[in-house]
Amino acid sequence: MQGFALYPFDPPGDISALRADLRTWLADHQPRGDIVERANCWASFDAGFSRALGAAGYIGMTLPARYGGGERHPLERYVVIEELLAAGAPVGAHWIADRQTGPLILRYGSEEQRQRYLPGIAKGELYACIGLSEPGAGSDLAAVRTSARETAEGWRINGQKIWTTGAHLSHVILALVRTEEGSERNAGLSQLLVDLDTPGITIRPIIDMAGNHDFNEIFFDDVLVPHGALIGTRGEGWKQVTAELGLERSGPERYLSSHALLAALIDAAGSDPDPAVAALIGELTAEMWTLRQLSMSTAAKLAAGEDPMVEASVVKELGNAFEQDMPRRVQAVIDCGWDDNADLARLLRALLIASPSFSLRGGTREVIRGIIARGLGLR
Amino acid sequence: MSGARDMLCDTASAVFAEAASAGIAPVEEAGFALLLVPEADGGFGGDWGDLNAVLQIAGVAVPDLPVAPLILSGLGDVDPALHAAATVSLMAGAMGQALGLSIEHVNTRQQFGRPLGKFQAVQQSLAVMACEVRAVDAAAAAMAKRLDVVGFDAEAANFEIAAAKLRANRAVGVVTAVAHQVHGAIGFTREYELHRVTIPLMRWRGEHGNDAHWAQRLGRQVAGFGGRGLWEAMTARAD
Ligand SMILES: Cc1cc2nc3c(=O)[nH]c(=O)nc-3n(C[C@H](O)[C@H](O)[C@H](O)COP(=O)(O)OP(=O)(O)OC[C@H]3O[C@@H](n4cnc5c(N)ncnc54)[C@H](O)[C@@H]3O)c2cc1C
Repeated sequence: MQGFALYPFDPPGDISALRADLRTWLADHQPRGDIVERANCWASFDAGFSRALGAAGYIGMTLPARYGGGERHPLERYVVIEELLAAGAPVGAHWIADRQTGPLILRYGSEEQRQRYLPGIAKGELYACIGLSEPGAGSDLAAVRTSARETAEGWRINGQKIWTTGAHLSHVILALVRTEEGSERNAGLSQLLVDLDTPGITIRPIIDMAGNHDFNEIFFDDVLVPHGALIGTRGEGWKQVTAELGLERSGPERYLSSHALLAALIDAAGSDPDPAVAALIGELTAEMWTLRQLSMSTAAKLAAGEDPMVEASVVKELGNAFEQDMPRRVQAVIDCGWDDNADLARLLRALLIASPSFSLRGGTREVIRGIIARGLGLR
Repeated sequence: MSGARDMLCDTASAVFAEAASAGIAPVEEAGFALLLVPEADGGFGGDWGDLNAVLQIAGVAVPDLPVAPLILSGLGDVDPALHAAATVSLMAGAMGQALGLSIEHVNTRQQFGRPLGKFQAVQQSLAVMACEVRAVDAAAAAMAKRLDVVGFDAEAANFEIAAAKLRANRAVGVVTAVAHQVHGAIGFTREYELHRVTIPLMRWRGEHGNDAHWAQRLGRQVAGFGGRGLWEAMTARAD
């Protein structure tokens, strides 16, 4: 398939040693969290854990040392995040800052912004959220209407964001805003880095169907931020966001959200499993193994400085389908009641309820397939 | 791809083109049975990555000829699992061809005044199919890499072979269904070439271990690892 060459995953250094060090560290530091907490763990907020992880050098790994980073290779970082996810570590607090906001600030930010934000991110102490969605702009992201007008004192922001994960626990939001009056679609957009304690910002919780408070709506009411809040180039917001989404879509979190369930199923099955359970374990393993190859190849392409927009979308599409199907397929072969209290039953229930969100967050299934179709030359 | 592999693929394409009308004889005469035989023994000294590349071309050009058994015959008596491994490569090639034909067709066939490929429903189906093709490619590549590391020892690569054959088998349903659906009636004819790859795909799915066979085998192996052990085994196999 054109443009779909497989990139070799070839990190420098001793990867087995890196894994072994992290596994030892995790054995000492991972909170003996409930099994349900270990599923979908990149949505699990634990500031104490993030701080300890940062102190151990596992956050901001690819950032330059002068900003508190580890100057490690992106594929070393990849190995670390897949280990964290496979172990079900509560990485939600620093997740977005480490994955996309930090790299974006490094790439597009001013020296002042880098010095101000990157060291805190690398320490696992400064958290960020993604301000893209608005009530009228979901799949159609170019319909963003929140406005920022340049005045003598700075940027004046008015409007609303929605579905902002972790806004109530974050320090800063990277907001996509319309900086040119009367501009349309993806022209005239810019990104602003806004401290969430700025006067005029109201954050309201939205409780999800699992009963959790992860996402929020955010109101900007004549919010004044300094000129220095603009990140990158005025009017280039769309281009910057597209690059950011590439970072967001290709990672191992797109197929490892339900991993705790597969591990629990294997443990519950024992060494001589029932044939139906054995078959399911075999099928799920084959899919996960393949997804890992795809995800690693995409990470390698990203690390080589190329833009794997289509490959990242393939990982997201297949990964989301896999992790969304898994709880349904497990439910089909194991015998447990909805309200059972055994670990496997509680985990299954939690993931069945969480799983509809997997193919929504980070771009819906239909939008992702549209990107792949474009890659095939159909659009 | 290395220069040597590029040359090998060029040769294979030419030979298979001839074989498409003349049968397996040109493939035999070209000496493909020596592909995997070490140079010291008078062979080409190819690795499994080479075999994967050649069989992908065979899966497109001559899916009905016994190219895989011919090449493997050079190794003497081999573990049946190596036949499963070779079949995955054929499947990857055939699936790529089914996708290629489908894209070409929807870009040319017009209905309602535009090419079919401009309709969102058609685009979404082809995106789904492309993901499956891509997955089989990746599984075949990982399997080839492992076989090269362990010197074609099927037992040492049983995890990768099982995973790849199972993943390829799973893709067959989606790939053949979408390819035929977007082609409409023309794809169901003898004259049009889609069936040349879709019928072999249906056949290969049941050969050298069907879904149930490999799912049991892999599932039992993984059950032996335990939940945490699966992740450790996966990373240890690749690092
Ligand atoms: C758990 C979770 C966390 C999130 N976190 C964040 C966050 O931190 N920051 C943030 O900015 N956003 C966040 N989002 C929002 C997410 O990006 C949006 O939900 C998503 O982009 C879809 O927008 P929407 O919900 O408005 O649905 P809509 O755009 O209304 O879409 C509804 C359905 O219609 C389909 N559809 C829409 N347009 C088309 C079309 N042209 N063709 C075919 N089908 C179409 C969609 O694919 C979808 O299936 C989060 C969402 C979830 C579920």
